[in-house]
Amino acid sequence: MDANLTQHGTGNSMMVMKTGSGWSRGLDNAVRGELKEWFQTRTWWSQVLIWAASINLIFLIVSLSVRQNPGEMNSPTESLMIFNIFMGLVGPIGVSIVMQSAVVGEKKSGTAAWVLSKPISRISFILSKVIGNSLGIAATMVLAQGIIAYLIAYFVVGITPPPLGFLAGLGVHLVHIFFYLTLTLMLGAIFEKAAPVIGIPIAFLFSQNFLSSAFPKLTPFMPQSLAMPGNNSSELPLAMALMTESPVDTYLLLIGTFIASLIFIGIALWVFQRQEL
Amino acid sequence: MEWVIDTQGLTKSYKEVDALKALNLQVPKHSIFGFLGPNGAGKTTTIKLLLGLIRPTAGTAKVFGLDTVQDSVAIRSRIGYLPQDPRFYESMSARQVLDYTAGFFFKGPRAEIERRVEETLDLVGLQGKADRPIKGFSGGERQRLGIAQAQVNYPDLLILDEPAASLDPMGRRDVLEVMDRLRKYTTIFYCTHILDDVQRVSDMVAILNKGELVAHGPIAELLAGGEGVAYEVRLKGDTSSAYQCVAEQPWVNTIQVRKQNESTIWTVSVSDPQIAENSLFRLLAADEKVIVTGYHIKEHELEEVFLRIVEGGNNGR
Repeated sequence: MDANLTQHGTGNSMMVMKTGSGWSRGLDNAVRGELKEWFQTRTWWSQVLIWAASINLIFLIVSLSVRQNPGEMNSPTESLMIFNIFMGLVGPIGVSIVMQSAVVGEKKSGTAAWVLSKPISRISFILSKVIGNSLGIAATMVLAQGIIAYLIAYFVVGITPPPLGFLAGLGVHLVHIFFYLTLTLMLGAIFEKAAPVIGIPIAFLFSQNFLSSAFPKLTPFMPQSLAMPGNNSSELPLAMALMTESPVDTYLLLIGTFIASLIFIGIALWVFQRQEL
Repeated sequence: MEWVIDTQGLTKSYKEVDALKALNLQVPKHSIFGFLGPNGAGKTTTIKLLLGLIRPTAGTAKVFGLDTVQDSVAIRSRIGYLPQDPRFYESMSARQVLDYTAGFFFKGPRAEIERRVEETLDLVGLQGKADRPIKGFSGGERQRLGIAQAQVNYPDLLILDEPAASLDPMGRRDVLEVMDRLRKYTTIFYCTHILDDVQRVSDMVAILNKGELVAHGPIAELLAGGEGVAYEVRLKGDTSSAYQCVAEQPWVNTIQVRKQNESTIWTVSVSDPQIAENSLFRLLAADEKVIVTGYHIKEHELEEVFLRIVEGGNNGR
């Protein structure tokens, strides 16, 4: 191919053809493309604003109310639960909406077929969606919202959550949201229409309350328990426990949720490898 | 001969429908290969099979001697592809699309990749709009961008699905010029409905109909085949006796007659070109009631051949 470059008169000996045709072919370029889409367009700040309005605006309103009426909650630290509940609720819904366009949207629009006419493996295509969107969501939906929430807690509520514990709590939210990200990705690989791709994760999100009520023994296995208090459960969700330095019984649910996410990625890869575009 | 594309019994079925039936197709290196057929004939299916976007139900396809199922990524690293309806990421600009595309093929200094992107923009005349988001592009501009991204990697094989669609006559001319210029570096395999373009630039043609290959070969052979030699004669005056005289000749197959203004135009199909060359004009000139105002051997148009083959079933094979 170098000879070919010379033939075309570029006179360029520095630019060389990439070689190799393994599973990771095209991954670097595809991830770069995803990250540009997140961070070199208005996407990142519009996402930060949307999630700030959906999560932290309510936290701010509640915090202002707690400040004016200190008796409303047992302790000011409890107001952090509002942030955790909204992260646990809005995060999965938001990520399902964002991610539905990642695979099923591209299959429908034809951009997936266009990209896959270039030298990129299907594994790289799917992994670029996972990596790019995870980083985008981690930055705009988790980290940025965490920083805003921390500032609200410090300046409005008047508490100083332990920084490392708070960061660990955000990590739990990230795992929780990652579960929905990979679930949506997998459904995007399986289905050709957007409705089930958005609908199933959201239905699963809301059905956990019902399942938790009907079968209390299932509660410890619900990913929701990472971020939000379950029905009839006196235990703090893991994220809240870490943010307030409360005792943590087990990390099994966290590990299980992460493993489930990896399984979703595996299924997405398997399905997409066999898919006709 | 070295084949860039070689398919053997390539078949693609969807449930009950056979989109492609046992295609045996060979595309020689450095040819401009026109791949023709009515809508739904299986052209795009064939292209998708070559690119590894779909899998064959039966048969094999090799590109550069590599299997399209097993070695798809290696094949795609040497191909440029323009889809029929090019779709790119709408938020990107033309420059970003080309930069993104080039990133799949090249590594090296940014400046060199940017220079290649500039060259490609220049080739398709999109420099002025290089930094605008493509969501505002017209159909013709998208098509130009599609052509640009297809050849940013100096492909050994350029697969173009309707490259001149949505282009104005100047754009069409430019595309044909680009294709002609690239001929010495690359093989071009393209689908189109604009048969005039195929006749102008292609050296090989295949015609697909209802998933079956119904004609395949050098364009000159295809144009010469079928009806054999025919003369087109333009006459004025009373042609009845001349018609009777010519029709009686044993080397005349058929005479098609049509009127145009004051003239009568005959298409005389002959079985023996040598005798016809010596005798036909003399017979007409000998009749004092007619004046011969035009006389030439008829050159078949690809459109006629195409319609005859497609509408006449598989007889054109």
